[in-house]
Amino acid sequence: MNTDILIEFAINVLSMGSLYALIAMGLCFVFGICRLINFAHGEFITVSAYTLYYLGTFTNIPWPFVFLLVVIVGLVVGYLSELIAYRPFRGRSLDALLVTSFAISIILQRLFQLGISPRSRAVPVPAYFNMNVTLFGVITPLRNLLLVGTTVILLVVVMLIMKYTPLGIAMRGASEDFVTARLMGVPANLVISVAFIISGLLAGVVAVFWSARTGSVEPLMGATPLLIGFISIVIGGMHSLPGSVVGGYVYALIANLLSLTLPSTLLSFRDAIMFVIVISFLILKPEGLLRGSYQEERVG
Amino acid sequence: MKRKGLTILAAMLVVLMAFTAFGCRRKSDDPKGGNGDKIIIGGAMSMTGIQAPLDSPAMEGIEVAIAELNEKGGIDGKLLEFRNMDSKSDSATASEVAKQLVDQGAVAIITSSDYDFGGPAARAAQEAGIVGISSNASSPLFGSTMLGDLQFTLSMWNTTMGAVIAEKAYVEDGLHSAYVITDDFIDYTKSLSRYFVECFTKLGGKVLREDIFSQGKVDTAALIAHYKALPEKPDFIYISSYMPDLGTIIKEMRTAGIDSPVYGGDAYDDPALFELLGPEFGNDIIWDSHTFSSKEAVPKFEEYNAAYKKMFNREVDAPWSMSGYDVMMVLAEAIKAVGTDGAKMAKYMEDHTFELLTGTLDWSDAASGHEPNKAAAVIKLVKGKPEFIKWAIPDYLPAP
Repeated sequence: MNTDILIEFAINVLSMGSLYALIAMGLCFVFGICRLINFAHGEFITVSAYTLYYLGTFTNIPWPFVFLLVVIVGLVVGYLSELIAYRPFRGRSLDALLVTSFAISIILQRLFQLGISPRSRAVPVPAYFNMNVTLFGVITPLRNLLLVGTTVILLVVVMLIMKYTPLGIAMRGASEDFVTARLMGVPANLVISVAFIISGLLAGVVAVFWSARTGSVEPLMGATPLLIGFISIVIGGMHSLPGSVVGGYVYALIANLLSLTLPSTLLSFRDAIMFVIVISFLILKPEGLLRGSYQEERVG
Repeated sequence: MKRKGLTILAAMLVVLMAFTAFGCRRKSDDPKGGNGDKIIIGGAMSMTGIQAPLDSPAMEGIEVAIAELNEKGGIDGKLLEFRNMDSKSDSATASEVAKQLVDQGAVAIITSSDYDFGGPAARAAQEAGIVGISSNASSPLFGSTMLGDLQFTLSMWNTTMGAVIAEKAYVEDGLHSAYVITDDFIDYTKSLSRYFVECFTKLGGKVLREDIFSQGKVDTAALIAHYKALPEKPDFIYISSYMPDLGTIIKEMRTAGIDSPVYGGDAYDDPALFELLGPEFGNDIIWDSHTFSSKEAVPKFEEYNAAYKKMFNREVDAPWSMSGYDVMMVLAEAIKAVGTDGAKMAKYMEDHTFELLTGTLDWSDAASGHEPNKAAAVIKLVKGKPEFIKWAIPDYLPAP
């Protein structure tokens, strides 16, 4: 294998992995604290992507502010969904929450389909996103580097918050044992709201880079990132934030490796092979690659 | 806490129901008269789900046709009503809503624009003894062989769509080697690629490699790597897919500096694709489709566009709306001539040639599958704007 292909492969894995890591982390924040797979997370991304479409197409707001607004919309949607749809059901069983998250997902999808259009819309991004740069002799769009850079910054910021701020410590405590953390005086509403807010914020960032890659936004676009995020946290470890990040990169590595090496007749089975790997993970290493501190309450 | 939760759940249910109701309510105006005074055309088309992008423009075309027909007094003094129930891009729902529409007195069913999603509604129509027709299903499975002797599609089959573009590439443009990318999500994309490859290789063309992916899960990095690893640079790339992945593939390939011409089928006919590619990447992209939004291609385009604009307050943006209009006009012509009996309508449709917005159409008889004999419009994207090249009928048609 020549070096060009290898470098290109590394760039692809790093950039796709960064995107997947951000998605997985968004899911994992909510899962860590509420034990809830938020099926509406994909729609958080879609809402932000539509914001990008509207602001980018119909206004002259400078791009940095557009991105900021997109992220803010993601954050607000995350917070509002917690406030309106999850908080009232929190005392109930997890099943109720799960159903609620499906309901939000479906309501939002229908809103987009009937209120905006079932057809996809082209999303504008600044020209420098698609500008090519040469890195170690390999041509790649600049947005891949921007994505990796943004992800690194976000990971560092999140790590610092989680490690050193009282809020981060409270969240880590809550994700380990929510009942005890509450008994210790950790405010439940605050911690959960913040988890959703961060999750929404990450969804906003993902929306920018996801739609910059696909070039369009459509009502059902959230399904693919949701699935990728879910698989990533299964691989990485459902209870561990670093695990979800690792899971995202591992997913990108396996997916890229498979697409590069599978013969074309088997290429359409790539996802099937991915699922076989995930199922093997669930059987052989149910806690994922990185073991979170929380171990009981396993299903099955 | 408990009550609050219930209240909110109830509120969410109401919102959901409101949307569902909104989904079912989109039918033409019904000024007066009960069931006896109007002719109901059922629609089992998708307003939601993955099929909605194709069906919603077709439904708009149907609405334009209905308004035009009713303005002229309907058929034999009876007004027409188009009653659509959302088939939600789900085959079981499609069958279910078609049965409901039959119960409500529909005299024909217009199905979703795809064999996988629309076929079940056509089967329900066949069972009820009425005509079922799709505006844009182009799979050769959509016809009387698979669905029954009262079932039709207005679209050219993929046999024509694949053959026309193979001849355009090989004979007219002199391109002899291709890299083929096939989306295996639905029968449309799979069979289109198959017929294209069959015609292209029959002409003497060489397929250097065929890659397969599934809509929603495209891995452009892999496709680009495969393209670059080909033993020789292909003369062009044939992609059988649809939006949004279609746009992603072309954009990413162009961004990576791949400038080979791209050829494809009617799914390219999407304003979102043109906008996404823009003047920079929107060049050397050629496809064939049902029709084209210009006077040059469609003599009556301006009248249609005016009527469409009056109703929807914007210009025609997808050719599929014209197919929707045509479907309604064909049904209306058949009903006017022979009444609402399913078998008589089907016979009339088999026996006559129709002059439509989407060209001249002549169906073969039920024994040979109701094959739609129709020309394809060949279109080229220049600086992000579609340009009409010609109407084409292929010299060789592969067997369905």
